[in-house]
Amino acid sequence: MTTICLGIEGTAHSFGAGVVSSDGEVLSNIWDMLSPDEGGIHPREASRHHADLGPNLIKTAVESAAIRFSDIDIVAFSRGPGLGPCLRTTATIARALSLSLGVPLVGVNHCVAHIEIGCLESGFTDPVTVYVSGGNTQVIAFAGGRFRTFGETLDIAIGNMLDVLGRSLGMGFPAGPPIEREALRGRTYLSLPYSVKGMDLSYSGMLTAARRLHEEGNPIQDICFSVQETAFGMLGEIAERALAHTKKKELLLTGGVARNNRLSELLEGVSERHEVRYHRVSPSLAGDQGAMIAWNGILSYNAGNRLEIQDSHVLPRWRTDEQDIDWRV
Amino acid sequence: MDIIALGAESTLYRLQHWNRVLAVKWRRKKQYLLPAIDASLRRARTTRECKMLTVVRSLGVRTPAVYSLDLDECSITMDFINGIQLKQFIEREALPEATRFCKEFGDILARLHEAGIVHGDPTTSNLIVDEHSRLWFIDFGLSETNASVEMKGVDIHLVRRALETTHWDVQNELLQSFLEGYKSRSGTDAEPVLARMDEIRERGRYH
Repeated sequence: MTTICLGIEGTAHSFGAGVVSSDGEVLSNIWDMLSPDEGGIHPREASRHHADLGPNLIKTAVESAAIRFSDIDIVAFSRGPGLGPCLRTTATIARALSLSLGVPLVGVNHCVAHIEIGCLESGFTDPVTVYVSGGNTQVIAFAGGRFRTFGETLDIAIGNMLDVLGRSLGMGFPAGPPIEREALRGRTYLSLPYSVKGMDLSYSGMLTAARRLHEEGNPIQDICFSVQETAFGMLGEIAERALAHTKKKELLLTGGVARNNRLSELLEGVSERHEVRYHRVSPSLAGDQGAMIAWNGILSYNAGNRLEIQDSHVLPRWRTDEQDIDWRV
Repeated sequence: MDIIALGAESTLYRLQHWNRVLAVKWRRKKQYLLPAIDASLRRARTTRECKMLTVVRSLGVRTPAVYSLDLDECSITMDFINGIQLKQFIEREALPEATRFCKEFGDILARLHEAGIVHGDPTTSNLIVDEHSRLWFIDFGLSETNASVEMKGVDIHLVRRALETTHWDVQNELLQSFLEGYKSRSGTDAEPVLARMDEIRERGRYH
């Protein structure tokens, strides 16, 4: 029998609702991203965005999946990690739906959901995952019953670094796409700090240096080109270290920054060097969205996991390796 | 020359020369990196490794002796240490033996930190247990000098990370022994470094 899961995502500035069947079919996947005119994301504003738009997005997701609310068997939500106010708003919506529909509630780890939807799309079973977004920069692999973070940023996330740089260069939010376009016209490599420590990396020194290059009047396209080559090169190197260390045969790129073609090309180069399979998650499943929560909800539900309402508090600091991945054991 | 190991950073060969067994560590080009970045990294890491193997030995830590350096190819010819990685040792041997070496690992890293040096990649793959049960420290390509509390904190954070991803079933015991060894050499200097390690662990994640 097919199970239908409604997944609700709202850990940061995006709110998403997706409907996925236990056959692994994505029936709908709708989201809306809060993009402020200037400055960064304020957690309270983002949570208000989720509260205002959430109910309608869910309704649209159910309608475009061509199902009725009564067809939903499970409600899954992003329980963490993320911004407290956003998580609480999302959880409140999920609890209300679970109660009113009389269906089980399942809590999902946002980072794990990114990996699992990537595995669904690629057919990979055991990849090294490079997960890059506004709030996360992690290299994750499965070991000893859990997804473990082999490497990550020691300071700011890559998406955040690109946005902050973009703001200095007069670009809007998110700045990844304009930086990628400018970089294509860049020819001259301007030296920037390259900081890899073990399988971790650091972007704050590079960001400071790149902003200084701008103040000194260097061409924006050369700055963007140099920043991409340096920042993505570091990611490629830690991905390579994780591959060599774990000896896994698949490399998966996911998260909002996975949309960058140069980053994908570079990681493909890493995969060729180590003769492993490579997959970049397609844009509609790479960013923050509800389908990944729904799919992970199904996996977790099938392994026997349910969340009682009274136990369903959110987990803003939920580490990737703190969850038992019982559906993979 | 036989290939001994194909790592992320380099290829390691073993050869017989002057009636000795030597290791050649060759940092090959990485096609995926911008050539300018790749060239400067390979060269910088090769020279740094060559230098630090000697500097660290002067602190009383066992490191392979360097025989020659090829800066065009970015390769180092050094002693071949006959033994197994601490990583493999931990996987094969009983816990008391493993914790004993982790304590020594802590002592060794504290010696480096005392001298203002961080290793940069202090994992259990970069320590060799030789046939006489002696511990050797290798792979200094990412090492740095004039280390701040932050850099030392990162170094210990990397140890903890390596233990939790590679030796998850005994990570607590191994970390405890490592810290014992580290603290008994560093004394009060250990406190700010260990406090920084905890802080670093929580960074990079949004709350």
